[in-house]
Amino acid sequence: MFGPYTGPACFTPKAAMTLAIEQTKTAEPQARKPRGGVLDPIFEGLCFISATTLLAALVGVIGSLLVGGWPALHKFGFSFLTVSEWNPVTEVFGAAGPIVGTIITSILALVLALPVAFGVAVFLVEFCPPLLRRPIGVAVELLAGIPSIVYGMWGLFVLAPWFALHIQLPLMVAAPPGSLLANLIQGVPNGANILTASIILAIMVLPFIAAVLRDLLMTIPPAVRESAYGLGATTVEVILSVSLPYVRRSAIGAVMLGLGRALGETMAVTFIIGNSHDFPKSLFDSGSTIASTIANEFNEATGAMHTSALIALGLVLFLITFTVLAAARALLGPAKTV
Amino acid sequence: MNAQPQAETYESFVEQIPAGTAKIDLRKLNFFYGKTQALFGVTTGFAEKQITALIGPSGCGKSTLLRTLNRIYALYPGQRAEGEILFDGRNILNGGEDMAALRARIGMVFQKPTPFPMSIYDNVAYGVRLYERLGKADMDGRVEQSLRRAALWDEVKDKLHTSGLGLSGGQQQRLCVARGVAVRPEVLLLDEPASALDPISTAKLEETLLELKTDHTIVIVTHNLGQAARISDYTGFMYLGRMIEFTSTEQLFTNPKAKRTQDYVTGRFG
Repeated sequence: MFGPYTGPACFTPKAAMTLAIEQTKTAEPQARKPRGGVLDPIFEGLCFISATTLLAALVGVIGSLLVGGWPALHKFGFSFLTVSEWNPVTEVFGAAGPIVGTIITSILALVLALPVAFGVAVFLVEFCPPLLRRPIGVAVELLAGIPSIVYGMWGLFVLAPWFALHIQLPLMVAAPPGSLLANLIQGVPNGANILTASIILAIMVLPFIAAVLRDLLMTIPPAVRESAYGLGATTVEVILSVSLPYVRRSAIGAVMLGLGRALGETMAVTFIIGNSHDFPKSLFDSGSTIASTIANEFNEATGAMHTSALIALGLVLFLITFTVLAAARALLGPAKTV
Repeated sequence: MNAQPQAETYESFVEQIPAGTAKIDLRKLNFFYGKTQALFGVTTGFAEKQITALIGPSGCGKSTLLRTLNRIYALYPGQRAEGEILFDGRNILNGGEDMAALRARIGMVFQKPTPFPMSIYDNVAYGVRLYERLGKADMDGRVEQSLRRAALWDEVKDKLHTSGLGLSGGQQQRLCVARGVAVRPEVLLLDEPASALDPISTAKLEETLLELKTDHTIVIVTHNLGQAARISDYTGFMYLGRMIEFTSTEQLFTNPKAKRTQDYVTGRFG
């Protein structure tokens, strides 16, 4: 049993020792170079690639919009923005109608949604009994999750007929011809108009703004609110003079994001706005937005100029959205450390 | 499980303050966070125009007790108090109390500074505007007086209309004290007001409190035993939601009756 050792050579004491020495030799450089030295640059590189990809995508989108829209912009120049004639047959394209439609519906939607969103958020944070908090919170999130085409269908099949029958028609009957009211409500009484589109948009951006506002209000340190209460302020006073100013910056940002969403919303608006390229004569008149125009016509745009005009419209929408975001930043001023 | 009988565990020595001196009187006060009881039958008086310090280890109910006094806890559903809190003889735990009006009479300063997002001037004037219509000159006077009382005036008099958020932590805390005294509350509640302050700011704050004593009844929660000993007239030692010992500050620190108080003030536990 104890004959000469016949096992693997490294198990002889001498071989084992040299092996150990070799191992330390090879292990040494590795020990000097910690794992982070390899992984971190890779990670950093990946992050850098992600970020620059985003930038490249942005530049690419702007570039292709510019290139694609150039023929139309070149041919019509500034009148592309100011003329409201949009005629694919004669190839005259002026986008004032859709541009104004976009801006009016978005702002109106915001005006309608903001007070309600504010109410929802404040109720959830300040007054809501714990039993109701979850159902309402879930409702807000579900409302935000409904696909826009569903809103559009609901608008077309439910809201528009109801609106035409119960608001538009009675008003038209009541208004004396030629009066101010008659002018204010002129339009085809089919319920597909600027106002109903704005209402649909408002319902769509409402949960979004409400959810962000609620989260913002929850970030206020309890002690700050309690301090205001402690001075004898009522709930209204606390909310208006302490809570809201506290989250003002981010709240404006949230509102602007909502506005951005409303500006670009396509499907629901296309369903219910009536799709007329003319300058809307009243809130009860059919109109169009940039997004709805593009959605409606891209399939049928056979002429090169028509396609180019639609792409130029896309560029205009992009610029409007960009301006809104830039304006929000300018409005807020440089970031303050609180 | 019943390791020790209750009586032995929570022997208590609560001394009544001289009759007629109490601004706030607590009778058998119990407090609940939902189902969890945080205060157990606290019966204590807070003497008018004196400083009462509440000490005890973390979680003993000091802050909770303070929060019952102006009913700030009522902002949160599920929190409730039982028993009596007599404020000038009126039980404020009764229904029908105007919370806002009550809280205007009982000011509160928190552990961390809580300046409002507005100018220094407006921070101080905010509470005043809620209840008083003052002309500009009167309001200026009130703001200056309040800032002087909080030992902050000299540091901020040239920048009254800059944001209160721009001040240092210690200045912010004194701003909160100024804001608290500007509404001229009868009682001032302070919840570890100096815990986030440096020693110099702390010293200034303590001076301020001693001056404020001439007009206000002060209740202060503190972890700093030295602070309690320096500025308070009465001290209450709390443990696990009970008032273990309540007596004059001198008595409590030099000759504590309860074993736990003794251990705590001599630094043996807590």
